[in-house]
Amino acid sequence: MSEVPTSEIMERTKTIELRVLRYRPVSDHEPVFQAYQVPYSDDMSVLQVLQSVKDTQDGTLSFRWSCRMAICGSCGMMINGDPRLACNTFVRDLAPNPVTVEPLRNFPIERDLVVTVGDFVKKIESIYPYIIPKTPKSIEAGEYLQTPAQMAAYESFSDCINCMLCYAACPQFGANPDFIGPGAMALLQRYNGDSRDGGQQLRLDSIAGEDGVWSCTAVGVCSDACPKQVDPANAVNQNKTKSALDFFLRFIRPKDQGAGAKS
Amino acid sequence: MSERRPYVRAQPRDWWARKPYLGYTLRELTGVGVVLYGGILLAGLISLARGPEAFEGFRSFLTSPLSLLIHLLLLAVMIWHVVTWFQTMPKTMPKLIANGRHVPQQKLTLAGVGIAAVCSAALIAAFLIAGALP
Repeated sequence: MSEVPTSEIMERTKTIELRVLRYRPVSDHEPVFQAYQVPYSDDMSVLQVLQSVKDTQDGTLSFRWSCRMAICGSCGMMINGDPRLACNTFVRDLAPNPVTVEPLRNFPIERDLVVTVGDFVKKIESIYPYIIPKTPKSIEAGEYLQTPAQMAAYESFSDCINCMLCYAACPQFGANPDFIGPGAMALLQRYNGDSRDGGQQLRLDSIAGEDGVWSCTAVGVCSDACPKQVDPANAVNQNKTKSALDFFLRFIRPKDQGAGAKS
Repeated sequence: MSERRPYVRAQPRDWWARKPYLGYTLRELTGVGVVLYGGILLAGLISLARGPEAFEGFRSFLTSPLSLLIHLLLLAVMIWHVVTWFQTMPKTMPKLIANGRHVPQQKLTLAGVGIAAVCSAALIAAFLIAGALP
C-alpha cells in the first residue's frame, strides 16, 4: 500500500550514517558531531545527502553549495578527513562505513560546515589579480596577441575555482594563517606567466618573506587535493626560485626600477 | 538575532605523523641519512690525513658487520631520497613546454631518476675497472 512507484529517480534503498561536525555559534561552546541516518541511492553525492538531511531531518544544518558540478568551488569540506568537494564525492564509494563530514580544516568555523573566507579573498586581492600591460595600448591599436605556446605556459593556473581545498590540505597554512597559500599563488602565477603581463615585479614584491612563498616547505599535498589539477605546489615553488633570484638581483638592479617596490 | 563567533580549531601538534603528511615527513628525514653518510666519508678523509694507521682503522671499521648494516640502511635511505627529490623537482621549476604541450611531471621524474641511476652505475663500473688495473 505504502509503496511509492519510482520513475526516473533511483530508489533510495540503502542507508548511510552521516556524521556531521556541527557548530552553532549562539548555543555551542565548541563543535560537536551529530549523526544522521540517511537513505541514499548509488547516484547520490555527499552534497545530495546533506541536502536530503536539510530537507527532511534537520533544517538547521548549514553548508555552502551552488553548482553541483565541481565548477563553483562552494562545497569544499573535509570528507572522512580529506579535503573534497561534496558534489563530486559519491556516497557509493564510501559506503557502507559511516561518512564523516567536517568544515574545511585550517579555517575558522562560522557555523556547521560554513567557514570564514574573508582572509582568502584578501589574499587574492593582494596579488594584483589582473593583467597589467607592459606597454598600454589604445583600443584602436588592437588586441594584445598571444601564441598557443605562450598561453599553455599559464593556462592550467587559470583553472582554479577558489574552493580552498588546497588551503585545507596545507599544514604550513595551518601553522601560519597569514601564509599567502597555494590558491592565491596559483592565481599569481596565472598572471605572472602571461606573456601580455608586465606586473611581475609588483607581484614578486608582494610575496617575498615568511608570509609570502617562504612559509612553503614543498609538502605537495595541496596539488593532490586540487579537484582541477591546477598544481598550486608548482606555482608556489617556482616562485620561490624567482623570489630568491629577485633577492640577490636587487643589489645590482638600478634603483627605482621596480615601480611600487616595498622596502 | 544572529551572533558571529568564529571557532578556530587548533592544528594538531602531530600533524606531520598523520596520513597524507607522513610521506613528506619521511622524505625530509632522508636528508638526515644523507648527512650521516657525509659524516662517514668525512671520518674517512680525516683518518686519511692522520696517517696510514688511522686509515687502516677506518678501513677495518668499514668491513665490520655493523658498518655493512649501516651502509645498507643508508643506501635504502639514499635511494628514497633520490626518488623523492626527483618527484619534487618538477614542482619547483617552470612548466616545460614541448611542441606547445606540457611535458608531464612523471616524465621529468623518470628522466631524473634514470640519469642518476646511469651515473651511479658508471661510477661503480669506473671504480671496479680502476681496481682491477695493476
